[in-house]
Amino acid sequence: MVREVAESCVESLMAEIVSSYCKGVYANKPELAAPRIEAIGFQVGHRLSERYTMDRPRFTDHLEAIKFICKDFWSDLFKKQIDNLKTNHRGTFVLQDNRFRWLAHMSVDPSLVTSGSIQDPSAMAENEAAQATGLHLYFPCGIIRGALSNLGIPCAVSADISNLPACSFVVRIKV
Amino acid sequence: MIVCLAVVGHQNNPLYIQSFTEADDALKLHHIVHCSLDVVDERVNNPKKSGPTINEAFLGLLYPTENYKVYGYLTNTKVKFILVTTDLDVRDADVRNFFRRFHAAYVDAVTNPFHVPGKKITSKIFAERVSTMVKSFGLSPAS
Repeated sequence: MVREVAESCVESLMAEIVSSYCKGVYANKPELAAPRIEAIGFQVGHRLSERYTMDRPRFTDHLEAIKFICKDFWSDLFKKQIDNLKTNHRGTFVLQDNRFRWLAHMSVDPSLVTSGSIQDPSAMAENEAAQATGLHLYFPCGIIRGALSNLGIPCAVSADISNLPACSFVVRIKV
Repeated sequence: MIVCLAVVGHQNNPLYIQSFTEADDALKLHHIVHCSLDVVDERVNNPKKSGPTINEAFLGLLYPTENYKVYGYLTNTKVKFILVTTDLDVRDADVRNFFRRFHAAYVDAVTNPFHVPGKKITSKIFAERVSTMVKSFGLSPAS
């Protein structure tokens, strides 16, 4: 029995998680919101990886598992594959998505974000806009980390948002 | 007839172990399951070149004891399913089929947000589904 949910609900929920954790639950200590959101993503990724690896043969090495994340896992979650995968062959992988689905409908208006400082408005506004968007990427980082750790690969995942709507996820495998 | 089913996590911790017969000693069945974990590790680490591919989840007959046959299945997330049966002429395809449905039931139980990964599965719905599957497995080879 497969139940379906409108995608707009999922996107709204993601946005509201970030908003309520940053301004509501951890209003006095906003730096605690990010690890909390990432931990929620970890649990979700853990469970999703159980379901999506069900009918597949076992992975032989780390690269196979990362390729699974890039292709099947990403397309089950976001209906598209990762656009670019880079590795330094020493345990670091960069997964680049040129149009991340959960950020695609978000527009950041720099003039609204800045609080009116005159020094360097455009650069500061861009910085704040980038920071605000970066908060929305903790959850997907947690999902990737949870999925990989369930496949037996402990790692650390961070996101890089230098040019939206493209974003990169950097996976560093812990030896 | 299936006498025992076990789900063992990736650190060899038992997540679900259930015996389906009152006659046999539960402890003996637990012991059989425990011994079969070693066989699973051996199968995975030393693949036989003429055997099935090393990447398949279904591991096949692990070892026969005097009354029982023990089958194994290893998922991608290093969770092992062990099945102990007393049937003498059980078909390979039946066991594969059973493991596939058992895997689906396991995934449903684990995606329960109230289930803590690494702890035992306490879902009653999972237990009911499993006992239904076990009953229907016993019936199919019969007339």
